Parts: sequence; C-alpha cells; structure tokens
Amino acid sequence: MSEVIIELKHLKKYYGNSRGIEDVSLKINKGEIYGFIGPNGAGKSTTIRTIMGLINKTSGNIYINGKDLEFDDINVKKRIGYLPSEVNLYGDMTTKEILNYHETFYNKNLGKRMNELVKLFKIDLNKKIEDLSLGNLKKVGIVLALMHEPDILILDEPTSGLDPIMQNTFHDLLLKEKEKGTTILYSSHVLSEVSSVCDKVGLIKDGKIIKEDTIENIKKDNYTYLRIISKDIENIKKELKLKVYKENNNEVIFFNNLKPNELINKLCKYNIESLLIEEVSLEDLFINYYK
Amino acid sequence: MIKRELKVNLKSFIIWLFILIAMFLLVYLIYPYIITDESMKEIDEMMKVFPPEVLKAFNMDVTSITTAYGWFKTEGFMFILLITGIYSSFLGGNILLKEENDKTIEYINSLPIKRNNIITNKVIVGIIYTILIVLLFGLFNFISLKLSGDLDTKQFLLLSITPLFVSLPLFSINLFISTFMHKSRRITGISLGLVFLFYIISVLSELSEEVEFIKYFSLYTLADTRNVISNIEINPIMIIISLLITIIFITLSYVKYNKKELV
Repeated sequence: MSEVIIELKHLKKYYGNSRGIEDVSLKINKGEIYGFIGPNGAGKSTTIRTIMGLINKTSGNIYINGKDLEFDDINVKKRIGYLPSEVNLYGDMTTKEILNYHETFYNKNLGKRMNELVKLFKIDLNKKIEDLSLGNLKKVGIVLALMHEPDILILDEPTSGLDPIMQNTFHDLLLKEKEKGTTILYSSHVLSEVSSVCDKVGLIKDGKIIKEDTIENIKKDNYTYLRIISKDIENIKKELKLKVYKENNNEVIFFNNLKPNELINKLCKYNIESLLIEEVSLEDLFINYYK
Repeated sequence: MIKRELKVNLKSFIIWLFILIAMFLLVYLIYPYIITDESMKEIDEMMKVFPPEVLKAFNMDVTSITTAYGWFKTEGFMFILLITGIYSSFLGGNILLKEENDKTIEYINSLPIKRNNIITNKVIVGIIYTILIVLLFGLFNFISLKLSGDLDTKQFLLLSITPLFVSLPLFSINLFISTFMHKSRRITGISLGLVFLFYIISVLSELSEEVEFIKYFSLYTLADTRNVISNIEINPIMIIISLLITIIFITLSYVKYNKKELV
C-alpha cells in the first residue's frame, strides 16, 4: 500500500460567521500529483493556507506522514515547497538577492539546483523584483518553491501568468519531481490544465469536496453532450433519465453516458427534429455534471 | 534575517535622524543671532505674560532659554521627545505588520522559521534603531552644544537618554496593537494619535495641580525631564516602569502573533 503523505480529515475553516471551507477530506500518496479543482471562492486557497499555518483551522485534522501537523513545525516546513497564487516578494531585492536570501534559511548549499531552475525558467538574475512582470514573478516563485528540493509541493494556481511554453516546462518539471517521489497538491480552477499531470483530482465546491476520482476514471465514464430538439421532449427526459445540462423549450442538452445502441433503442419511438452528439470537455463535466 | 531587517529599516532611520539633525542644526546656527541683549529683554517681557503653569509645561521655569543649551532643555527637548516618540511608534506599528501589508508574510511563513523567531528578529532591529536614533542624535547635540561652549555634561548625558524611557514603551505598545491589524494604513493614525495623546496628557497635567493625577496616564511622565534638569538624576522607578511596560507589551505581542490569522 502506498504511503499517505498528506491527509486532511474533515477540515473546516470559518472566518467568524462566513464560510472558508466546510468539510475537506483528502489523501495524497507519496509521489502523487493531486489536482485540487474548483471555481473561485470554492475554498482552495483557504484549504492551502490552513495547511501552511497562515490561518487557524476551525476543526478537523491535517496529517503529514500520519502525524498531526503541529503549529510552526520547522521540520515539516523544511520539507514543503509552497507557491502561493499571488507571488509577493521584497520589491527592493534583485532576483539573485532573493534566491540567495532564501538559501540562508536552509542549512545546505542550494546553488546547484538553483542554477538548474534559473536556467530552465530563463530568469534574469539582475532584475529587481519590483520590475518583474506577473509571469516572471511567478517563475521566481516557482524557483523559490523548488530550489530547496522539498518532497512536498503545495502549489496554488501555479501556472496563472505563465505563457503556454512555460506552462509546459513547468508541467514537465512536475512530472520529473513526481518520478523522484515528490508529493504534490496542485490547485487550479482549470481542470483541463491539470489533467495532463495529475493522478487524481478532487473537486471542491462551496467549501466541500464533492467528487474525487482519478483522471482515468473520469474519462472512462465517456460522457457526451446529447442535444435533442423534439416536441416529445418531456417524455424523452423521463425515458432517458439523464442529467440535463441546459434546456430551452423543446431543446435539451443532456450529459449522456448511454451506449449508442441503448440510446438509439430508447429514442427511436419518439419524433425527433434534431439530434447532435458532441464530446464533453473535462472542464464541463466536472463543473456541471458533478455539481 | 536580522541583516535584511536592518537594511530595510535603515532608510527611514536615516531620514528621521536627518530631519532631527537638520532641525536642530538650523536652530543652533541661527540661535546666536536671535539671542542678543535686546531680544532677551523682549523675551523676558513675553515670558511674564505666560502663566507659570505654561512655563512649567515647557520646563521654562527651571531653565533659561538664553543659550542654545537652554533652548535644548526646553522647546528643543519637547521636539526630541515628540519626534523620537513618533519614530519609535511608527517603527513598532509597522515592523511586523509590513510583511502582511506587503503580503510578503506568505513567503516568510513558508520558510523554515518559527513565528517567534520572526518577531524576535523584528524586535531586536526595532530596539536597535529606537536606541540608535536617541544615541546618535544625542551625540550630535553633544558635539554641537560643546562647540557652543555652554554645557553641563552630566545633566546633558542623563537628559539625552530620557527619550528612551518613552520611545521603548511606545515601540512595544504599537507592536502589540499592530498584531490586531492586517493593513499598515490604520496603524499609522493610531501610532501618531497615541504619541500626541500621551504628550497632551503630560502637558495638561502640568497646568493645574487638580489634574496632576492624569500624568499617570501618559508615557511622557516616564521621561521625567524636570527631575533630570533640576536634580541631575534619573529616578530609577521610571526606568523600571518603562522596562516593565516594554517587556509586557513585547511578550503580549508574541502571544497574540502566534495566534494571529495571517491573511
């Protein structure tokens, strides 16, 4: 059985009366990339900030290697590489200065790894942080998160601001990290973006994990959009018993996972004006089907 | 981290020190020209107009402003107390809060360093600069007044360190208040307001014996300048109270900061 590195059990966070997260439980095994997907305000960042100890949980548990995560645990912090959704660093420093400053907190020489990452992300070491564009700042954030060779990576919207080439570079890097056994929590609001690198995805909505599955399983369900225009639409809805995506008078778009033969058999008795079957993006599937 | 903190806060330290030095240098340079036999008579006439309570509030009943050193002990010292007080208040209010205001706290928090260590580094640097501004400015005044020839060295030395008894507690109180906030904008007004409030209470307490008791509500009572000027000694009670307030509020800051939501 694989070793569980990060485990959240019924994690709850309220800011006074307002909800941050309601009930978040998940497990991430060693060397696994977990896609933490959800729309804005769903509670992704709150979950991550609670794990990072920036905010205090209301209830629930956070386990790292099966041990309750204690407040300000230096040994755990050493193992974590964290990339916040918005990278904020000291504007007066140059890139080189912040990287060197970062190194002073770890009792080891990080020069080799730092140089590899700087080269990979084409970082200008002499630029001042305050002069960096959003994308370049993000790249510095990535180097900072990875240069001390952490075995846990917590990434909050890591690719926002990165151009497509850099996104690919970053995803390749994550896959290499995964090979090394690094455990990764990857938060994003775009499922299609993470589906190429994640082993498992969890969908968070209104502060709760509403669906968790492997990308393989989600794809295996083989959903399609089924668009039907018919005067018998109400009867068709009863017959097919499918989840409706959109509807407008006689026109309905279903999430369909019926096999073609089964579908034809069920529909042949109705008078259908128009029928269209289209592929569903993972995005739509997650956001709309599982909601 | 201390090195970085010293560097970050150096610029504002230099600006504040420069303002103080420039202000006093100007006075020292023009003072000999203002104070002539003739103008002294006018000043004496003017002084008679003021009630003794007002003169007391500015230490003018125990010292004369006929020399630069006399001015230093009266009006000058009022400025020193106020400006070093404002500086240390701003420093205390911002040194820790700046990380949240600039959102760099997320970065620092991810580093393998405990929150207690973050506070310790900031407090050490804050105390260094609070002491340094008083000492360096004292040194500047010492040289300037020595050159003017009229100086009671012991009285001057004791007087020069009294701002510390106010600015260290002000630093720690503002540090503590800042642990309840997330943005620097609000603390600036509070820091400034606190200094003026304490100062006004202190001045008002000198005006009438009936309201003298309110001096116990002002940190400026701890400077105890009248006693230092008149008796050339520092009341050890003031040092003890000042240190106690500083230690208490720094300790409270540690406690509160460890529970704080860093948003």
